[in-house]
Amino acid sequence: MTGAADIDLEGPPSALLEVRDLRVHFKTDYGVVKAVDGVSWSVNEGETLAIVGESGSGKSVSAMTILGLVPSPPATFPSGDVFLRGRSLLKMPEKQQRKLRGSQIAMIFQDPLTALNPVFKVGDQIAEMVRVHQDVSKHVAKKRALDLLGEVGIPNPAVRLNQYPHEFSGGMRQRAMIAMALANDPHVLLADEPTTALDVTVQAQIMALLEKLQDDRNTAIVLITHDLGVVASYADRINVMYAGRIVESGTADEIFYSPRHAYTYGLLSSLPRMDQQRQQRLQPIKGIPPSLARVPQGCPFHPRCTFATEACLPEVPSLVSVDGETHRAACVHSDRVAMAFEDRVGAK
Amino acid sequence: MTTTPDPADTTTSAQSVIVESAHADPFAPPEGETKGKTKARGQLADIWRRFKRNKLAMVGLVVVGILIVLALVQPFISPYDPYDQNLLNTLASPGGDHIMGTDALGRDLYSGLLYGLKLALLVGVSTMLGSMFVGVALGALAGYRGRFSDGIIMRVTDIFLAFPYLIGALLVVRTFGSGVTQVIIALVVLGWPTAARLMRGQMLALRESEYVEAARSIGASDWRIVTRHIMPNAIQPVFIYSFTSIGVAVVAMASLAYLGVGVPPDTPEWGRLINQGIEQVQVPGKDYLWIFPSLAICITTLAFAFVADGLRDALDPKLR
Amino acid sequence: MGKFVIRRAAQAIMVVIAATMLLFLGLFVLGDPFASTGDKVVPPATQAILREKFGMDQSVPMQYLTYLGNLFTGDLGIDLNQRRPVADMLGVALPNSARLALIAIIIDIVIGVAAGIIAAVWRYSVWDVLVTILTTLAIGLPTFVIGVWLRQTVSGFWIFPQVPRTFTELAPWYTEVLLPAFTLAIVDAAFIARLMRGSMLEVLRADYIRTARAKGLGERTVIMKHAFRNSIIPVVTYIGISIGVLLGGAIITETIFQYNGIGFLLYRSILQQNQPVIMAIVTYAVLAYVALSMIVDILYAYLDPRIRLS
Repeated sequence: MTGAADIDLEGPPSALLEVRDLRVHFKTDYGVVKAVDGVSWSVNEGETLAIVGESGSGKSVSAMTILGLVPSPPATFPSGDVFLRGRSLLKMPEKQQRKLRGSQIAMIFQDPLTALNPVFKVGDQIAEMVRVHQDVSKHVAKKRALDLLGEVGIPNPAVRLNQYPHEFSGGMRQRAMIAMALANDPHVLLADEPTTALDVTVQAQIMALLEKLQDDRNTAIVLITHDLGVVASYADRINVMYAGRIVESGTADEIFYSPRHAYTYGLLSSLPRMDQQRQQRLQPIKGIPPSLARVPQGCPFHPRCTFATEACLPEVPSLVSVDGETHRAACVHSDRVAMAFEDRVGAK
Repeated sequence: MTTTPDPADTTTSAQSVIVESAHADPFAPPEGETKGKTKARGQLADIWRRFKRNKLAMVGLVVVGILIVLALVQPFISPYDPYDQNLLNTLASPGGDHIMGTDALGRDLYSGLLYGLKLALLVGVSTMLGSMFVGVALGALAGYRGRFSDGIIMRVTDIFLAFPYLIGALLVVRTFGSGVTQVIIALVVLGWPTAARLMRGQMLALRESEYVEAARSIGASDWRIVTRHIMPNAIQPVFIYSFTSIGVAVVAMASLAYLGVGVPPDTPEWGRLINQGIEQVQVPGKDYLWIFPSLAICITTLAFAFVADGLRDALDPKLR
Repeated sequence: MGKFVIRRAAQAIMVVIAATMLLFLGLFVLGDPFASTGDKVVPPATQAILREKFGMDQSVPMQYLTYLGNLFTGDLGIDLNQRRPVADMLGVALPNSARLALIAIIIDIVIGVAAGIIAAVWRYSVWDVLVTILTTLAIGLPTFVIGVWLRQTVSGFWIFPQVPRTFTELAPWYTEVLLPAFTLAIVDAAFIARLMRGSMLEVLRADYIRTARAKGLGERTVIMKHAFRNSIIPVVTYIGISIGVLLGGAIITETIFQYNGIGFLLYRSILQQNQPVIMAIVTYAVLAYVALSMIVDILYAYLDPRIRLS
């Protein structure tokens, strides 16, 4: 089953999953919505890349595009492509793309209650995932589902296998979703807000589970979230998105300890931190994200930015390297942001 | 229009993809675009604007308006007395003095149809009002009070709904004798349980809603909660149904009359005219005798159905 | 689940008892078949004899209990006109009506469900617009008028037998049943199509459909397995109820086409004040409706596991 579309993992040394200059636009009644507007990133085996942004920043649309699940029309892809081990996913025929979905790239969603089909047993839904991509009997698939449920830490999996989603608690449902996503040992796992709908204690458990499974399988995880707090201890690298663009990218340390974009600075200032010597008043970012059909001129963040000057207006700042190879930011005032942050965190 | 997009109209799949987190409501308008209108007037204007855009609904509304006017002025525009027989001029083809021809007794068909229209609207509207009055009151009581009154009222509706609508109406009319009032009574007896069910369902849903909880928590009385907080929201589907139910009643009366039950035999009622046209006059070429009255019924029911449809779409765009 | 079934069945039995009681009162107490009405003058002595003969001299509760008892033994009484057992009359008319209902419901489901799915899956397409227009028309047009039109235009042509027909000519049942079945099916098919479309559109927006697609399932499996099973739930309710209504007899359609079913029989019995026949047919109609709505409720619980537990 997987044969035809299997990606040659021994091929040329390109990144496992690469998004290059991707643009996803939607034609709507009130203008073109630029949900993703020129975004590039890549992720490798065993790595966790976090994409952070407020709702409407285009982070989920990128994930859905990778899976080929953005309906077109109304969506158009004016530029860019997605590569899995060097092979273009956007140019691939739908039939081949479908074979990759769930087998090479799997996804888990925000709300595990609505993401599982209410009328089918959890075990059957996992077994279906196995049988779509592997030529095995019903019995074998069910056995695999049982093992998976055990692996994701669901107690009493033999009973749980034959229960319906509504009989599971929120955390258990997300575990079942994870079990389903990992059923075919995918190379890439897209996790769209995997913990947002859960209690804080359960959030930590789920993240720990993802980390453990990643270690076992060397999976690449793309963690999409609006919550910098979740990202802090799990992500290797972080992309911060605003209004369809990446505004800052770097390692977790770079983002957390020396942000260079005013938006990242704003996000961090609104987050309570334990690692600061001086306790600071939390400062929310004022205003709301712009409608993607009417992105402000110049730097899209300038209307909400405390650092904004005339210099922000003429054009959209491009993503350039700031201190070090991996750390890039798209901010005219990155130096002022750096100074302000040091000021805020105190002598460190 | 271009500057103030209607959020409810743009539920394209693009939107549902863009809205990505649970915090965002896909139907929420962009900030700052809905403010500044007074709420109640804005809502009505919105509904009217959406209704106006639906061409079928507008056609329906215009036709309903014309029918009501025709029914009101019927005595003044009717060219003949609909009961007047003229045995020297039976089965006259349409045209000349009788634009729709005459029937087997020489009665003017056009005058008969006009009279039938008055009768149909009278029965339709009276039945609707009667069923709504009884149904809404009992349904609201059942839904809001719950427990004992709910149990009793719902079991009673169960019993009434167990009878087939037309057969039930037929039996009631047969029991109480023929006449327009008897027909209305029969149709109300069979029609109120549907309205009651609808109302109760709304009540049950809204009773538990957070804003009713809020009203209760600040000590609003039951009467105030029901009339001010629940009714305005609960009444919408009932209001839509009331238009549908007029059509249902018009058809039911015609069906009864077709079967020879309800209004007295010589009444120019649409169902009876059809029956006479197809059962009693089997003269070739006299098809207009059943075509005209059946068209009259269709125009009336379609017009009310279009209005009800348009209202439903305008009141709740999400249902489309 | 078991408890739910028992509770629902008990409720159904109560409704049937109450409804037949109401019917019994209306037919035999308010409408006295032996009283003098209009031109028909019945001497009091004759009335008394007749009442005694038909057991109507007893108290009303007693009469009702006798009726119920006879009902259980299959004795539906004697028809007042020709003194035939009512059970025999029903034995002739019922299969015809059941056949009519069955064919109508098959047309309903096939056309309605298919049209609804097509309209939802290809939303805004030509097919969707067509379905919307046709359902709007079909729902707005009364069944009664559709029947009259079909009878006046189509009957007598091709395989459709002439109505009203001469009683010497016999038509095979499958030609006889077509037009009334189609008449009955049009409105329901339109309702089912609309319901199916709306329900499918809502389900297609659900997160679990996105999950199904993300699993790499083909679009056909996504729609026919994941979406269908969820969206059919409200449609099943409607179909079940309309089977109940159809089984109860289609008085107007059967009368228009002079179709020899219980609807037409009921119509003639009402005109002739033939109370035992009316009583039997309406009791049957009530039973059919109540039984079907009970089955629907149970089926609903089966289809939607979320309801099953509560």
